[in-house]
Amino acid sequence: MLLGVELPGVDRCMMSGRRTRLTGERASWFAALLLSLLVGPALANNPSPRIVTLYQGATDSAVALGVTPVGVVDAWLEPPMYPYLREALAGVEHVGLETQPNLEKIAWLAPDAIIASRFRHERIEPLLDVIAPSSVVETVYDFKTTLRRVASATHREARAERLLDQWQARVDDFRRQVALGLGDAWPHRVAVVRFKSDHARIYTGGFAGSILDELGFEQPEALRTHGWGMKLTSKESIPVLNADVLFVLLEPDDAIMNNYRAWTSHPLWQRLDAAQGGRVFEVDPIAWMMGGGILAANAMLDDVYRHYALTDHGPALSDTAPSSACSSGAESDAPIGEGRKAC
Amino acid sequence: MIAGRFTLLVLALVASVALSLCLGSFATSPGAVWHALLAPADSDIAFIVWELRLPRIALAVTVGAALAVAGALLQALVRNPLASPDVIGVTSGAAFAAVAFLALAGSTLSVAWLPLAALSGALASALVVFALAWRNGLSPIRLVLVGIGFAAAASAGTTLLIVLSDDTAAMTAYVWLTGSLYAAQWPAVGQMTLWLAAVLPVSLGLARHMDALALGDGVATGLGVAVLRSRLVLLGCSVALAGAAVAFAGGLSFVGLIAPHLAARLVGRSAARLVPASALVGAMIVLHADLLGRVAFLPKDLPAGIFVAGIGAPFFVYLLFRTRPTR
Repeated sequence: MLLGVELPGVDRCMMSGRRTRLTGERASWFAALLLSLLVGPALANNPSPRIVTLYQGATDSAVALGVTPVGVVDAWLEPPMYPYLREALAGVEHVGLETQPNLEKIAWLAPDAIIASRFRHERIEPLLDVIAPSSVVETVYDFKTTLRRVASATHREARAERLLDQWQARVDDFRRQVALGLGDAWPHRVAVVRFKSDHARIYTGGFAGSILDELGFEQPEALRTHGWGMKLTSKESIPVLNADVLFVLLEPDDAIMNNYRAWTSHPLWQRLDAAQGGRVFEVDPIAWMMGGGILAANAMLDDVYRHYALTDHGPALSDTAPSSACSSGAESDAPIGEGRKAC
Repeated sequence: MIAGRFTLLVLALVASVALSLCLGSFATSPGAVWHALLAPADSDIAFIVWELRLPRIALAVTVGAALAVAGALLQALVRNPLASPDVIGVTSGAAFAAVAFLALAGSTLSVAWLPLAALSGALASALVVFALAWRNGLSPIRLVLVGIGFAAAASAGTTLLIVLSDDTAAMTAYVWLTGSLYAAQWPAVGQMTLWLAAVLPVSLGLARHMDALALGDGVATGLGVAVLRSRLVLLGCSVALAGAAVAFAGGLSFVGLIAPHLAARLVGRSAARLVPASALVGAMIVLHADLLGRVAFLPKDLPAGIFVAGIGAPFFVYLLFRTRPTR
């Protein structure tokens, strides 16, 4: 492993001369070189590329592909890293914030490839390109493109396609089951709401929005024309949230929970279709918004299965996925899950 | 004695630059940095020194100097020690334009246009403030009042745009508003240097007029100064410097306000000395703020604006405290 990691760096540094490296590490290259002569070419055939991931979805995708990046950016919540990725990324170097990653640190890591997003990192693309070939994805929440890009940078395309096939199978399975179980009541109108300490935000697009679209959910009429979503600062706006099902993103924070309780105890909230139908579901913002990769997407789909009390028949996620990411829900109580037999 | 203080200022700036060149995610020895500077072809750290640290240092120095001189000119112009480019709406106008760009065109246009958007915002708002303040001449008090009103309106507009834009665009806007030298690259340094090289000599040439204006319009006219024309040229210089600085580094506040005061304590209020000293002090403030942002919270690389305000705010209070008994 050490050899596979170190050797590509040696070649490049020696050839280009302008490559950045700590002088002190020369000793370790030498050791690696020696070892490689002893161990032989077996390891050289299976290089583990050194990649740095500059946004959350890319980090998630790398872990899903069984690649441990040499550098990652700080997580948005529960820093330094989301709990579901912690085990896989133990000891990995952090290169600062996603909005302003530390270029010098990235250069010192001497990666083989960098995965960035155009939206966040357009300004630093010329510098990243000098450090290592960088793969730049347009948006940060398009987890499929992200997975494919990370895969091609790490030569794991087949594995990525397998993961995407599994995802597609799960999506198809959900759509079949939910259509059968709910009949005319499907498709449901859905809203994703995130509570903060002094306001709430509705998200119609982005990561969760695109996945819910894929699953066949509809957007409420009132939200269709509002781009990314809407910021709600007054409880008078609660009727805008009217939908058949509400997924509520909550963080374990007293101020946020208080605000959430204040909103949900409001008479207007009680009149929402979702509240009356018992379909207000509290979910984890890390899976629904922050993770942004295929592991998070699958964890989000787990939540949807669980809250619709459907049995998850999709193929299990690849063995490399950390189990905590996919703490799938109750596979027992499935009143409308009988749909499977019909499939 | 004054010459000695100038030498000291220049030496301090050179030392600060040298320190900044050596510090980073990993400190590099001065010898290695020197080697990288002279012989980049056979240095391990050439990329880090030449492409990451040096352009950032150069931009910090030029932006800091530009903001400080802009502040010094304005303070002389309106005869008010609290004047700064923030007060006459230049910074807020640039901020509004930059945030509007990020919120409305951020997904379609390249961010390479952002400095141009900010600069146009700065110049346009200066023109608006100027037009509104004009009444058979240019009264400094009127200029400041209109400027403050315009700045408030522009800030309100900026807040509205941030509320309406999505999380990602809003976060980029916040970083920009704080002011950052992150990812400075040579083209930006070149353009910033050109602005400085074009405007600084003009301001220095007007030093005598600045001193005369400081004595009041009547005395200045008596001394043979074309009050209105001098004021217009000084205002133009100030807006051009502040606009360019904001375009390349975002909303770094306080530099334009405090650098001239620090400089005045060192070399006195005579404009011919105050302007260059302000430039040196401003350069040093921004350079140190950026150095703190780069190395104080590793591996995080934080916007310099956080630290400029961190140094600036206490000093500002101190300044008010010091000037109180003399009034």
